[in-house]
Amino acid sequence: MIQLIHVSKRYDQRSALSDVTLEIGKGEFVLLMGPSGAGKSTLLRLLIGAERPDEGQVFVHQKNVTTLKQSDIPYLRRKVGTVFQDFRLLPKKSVFDNVALPLLVQGVSADDISRKVTEALRAVGIEHKRDQLPAGLSTGEQQRVCIARAIVNSPVLLLADEPTGNLDPALTVEIIELFKTINARGTTVVVATHDPLVMAQANRRVLTLSQGRLLPEQGVSS
Amino acid sequence: MLSYLLRESWVNMRTNRMTTVVAILTTAFTLACVGIFLLLYVNLRAAAGWLQDDIKIMVYLEDRLAADSIAKVEQQLRSDHAVASLLFISKEQALGEFKAQFPSESHLLEGLGQNPLPASFVVALSPSFRSSGLVKRWAERVSRIAGVSKVDYNQDWIDALATVIRSIELVAVGIGVILSAAAVTIIANTIRLTLFARRDEIAILRLIGATTSFIRIPYLVEGAVLGALGSALSLAMLKLMYELFRQEMRTTGRFAGLENLIAFFPPSACLALIAVGMGLGVAGSFVSIRRFGEART
Repeated sequence: MIQLIHVSKRYDQRSALSDVTLEIGKGEFVLLMGPSGAGKSTLLRLLIGAERPDEGQVFVHQKNVTTLKQSDIPYLRRKVGTVFQDFRLLPKKSVFDNVALPLLVQGVSADDISRKVTEALRAVGIEHKRDQLPAGLSTGEQQRVCIARAIVNSPVLLLADEPTGNLDPALTVEIIELFKTINARGTTVVVATHDPLVMAQANRRVLTLSQGRLLPEQGVSS
Repeated sequence: MLSYLLRESWVNMRTNRMTTVVAILTTAFTLACVGIFLLLYVNLRAAAGWLQDDIKIMVYLEDRLAADSIAKVEQQLRSDHAVASLLFISKEQALGEFKAQFPSESHLLEGLGQNPLPASFVVALSPSFRSSGLVKRWAERVSRIAGVSKVDYNQDWIDALATVIRSIELVAVGIGVILSAAAVTIIANTIRLTLFARRDEIAILRLIGATTSFIRIPYLVEGAVLGALGSALSLAMLKLMYELFRQEMRTTGRFAGLENLIAFFPPSACLALIAVGMGLGVAGSFVSIRRFGEART
C-alpha cells in the first residue's frame, strides 16, 4: 500500500526526513511515533502529494506520488482519508454537510450522499448530531465528525496526524478503538502520534522517527 | 454538484455583502466612464459618417461629348463597385445651377456667347472606398476613362475627417483599456478578500480531493456576476444621463435638432457590454485565483 525508497526532504537547510525507506502493506495498522519535529507530519504530507521529496520515491496504492502530475493529486487524495489533530471542520456547515464534502467534490448523487453520510455517521456513533454545527459539539464529537469525513468515501488508506492530540485519555481510547474497527474492515491505517497511550492502546506495528531518520522497528506486528 | 457550486457563489456574495455592493458600484462607475467615451465615440463616428456621405466627387466630361459617349462613361461608372450613387448634370443643368447659386455673377457667362460649363457626373463612393488613399487611386483611374476631362474632389476635407475619426478611435481605445484594467483590478481585489476569508475551507477542499476547477468555479461565477451587475448598472446610469441630456437640450432650445441625432446604444450593444463586464469580472477573478493558487497547501 505504501512504499518509501530512500526519501529525503529538507526545508531550507533543515532536514525534515533523511534517507527514509519503509513499506506498509495493505490492511495494516501502523503507528508512526516520534517527538514533535521528528518528521511524522512531513511523511504524511508526502503520502498525499502535499509535498514532494527532494530525493527518493514515494508510492501509494501503486502510484508513484513523486512523479504524479499536480492535476492527478486530487484523484489520489480521494482514495486516502485524512484525520487532523485540529479536526479542520467547516464551522458554518452542519455535521452532515461536513461529512458529505468528499462525496460532493466527486460528483456523487444526492441519494448516494445521503446514504453514505448516514452510514459514516453511524459508524462513528454521532448520527443523532447530523444537523448540528461543529461549534455545538464536544472535542471528541468533532474528532468523530472528522473521522466520518475521512471514511465516507471508503478510502483504501486512512492517515491520521496526531488525532488524539486534543483529547483526554478516555476519548483517546475511544478514537483508537474506532480506528481499529475501521482497520478491521480492510482499510490500511497509519496514525502519526507522540502519545505513548495511543501506542499502548493500539498495540500494533510501530515505526519510530527521530530527527528525520527511521529507527529500527520495535512494535508488535498485528 | 452544479447547484452546490452556484450556492457557494451566492454564499460568498452574501457573506461579504458590503464588499460585494462596493465592488458592483465601483465597477459600475468605472464602466460608466468607459461607456461615456464609447457613446461619444459612437455618436461622433456616426456624425463623421454623415459628413463623409456629403463628400461628392465631380467627374467632368469633355466638352461637346456625344450622347452615346456620355452613356458609355455612365455605364463604366455604374459598373464600378466603388460607386454608391451617380447623378448626371448636363451643361444646361450646370448653367442653371450656377445662375441659381450666383445670380449677381450670371452676366459674366452671357458675354461668352456659349455655355462654358462642362457636363459632369456627381459620384458618391461606397463607405469602404472613402479613405484618402482609395479616393485618390479611384480618381486617377477614372480620369483615364475616354471622355472624362477631369476628376475633382476635396482631398483636404477627406484627410481631415480621417484624422478626426482616427483620433477619436485612439482616445476611445486608450481610455477603454485603462478603465477596463481598473475594473478588473477592483473585481480581483474583491475576490481576493473572499478567497482570504475562505482560505481554510479551500485548504480542506484540496485535502479531500477537490480538483482545481471545483475550487475555482464559485469564485469565477462570483466575478462574472459582479462584472455583469456592474456593467448593467453602468448602462442604467448612462441611459439616465443620456435622457437628462436630451431633456436639457429640448427645454433650453440649445443645439436644436441635435437631440434627435444623438443615439444611445442599441439593445444588442447593451447585451454585448454586459457580456464584456462579465468577461472582465471573470478575468479579475482569475487573476486573484491564480495568485492565491501559488500559495496553496
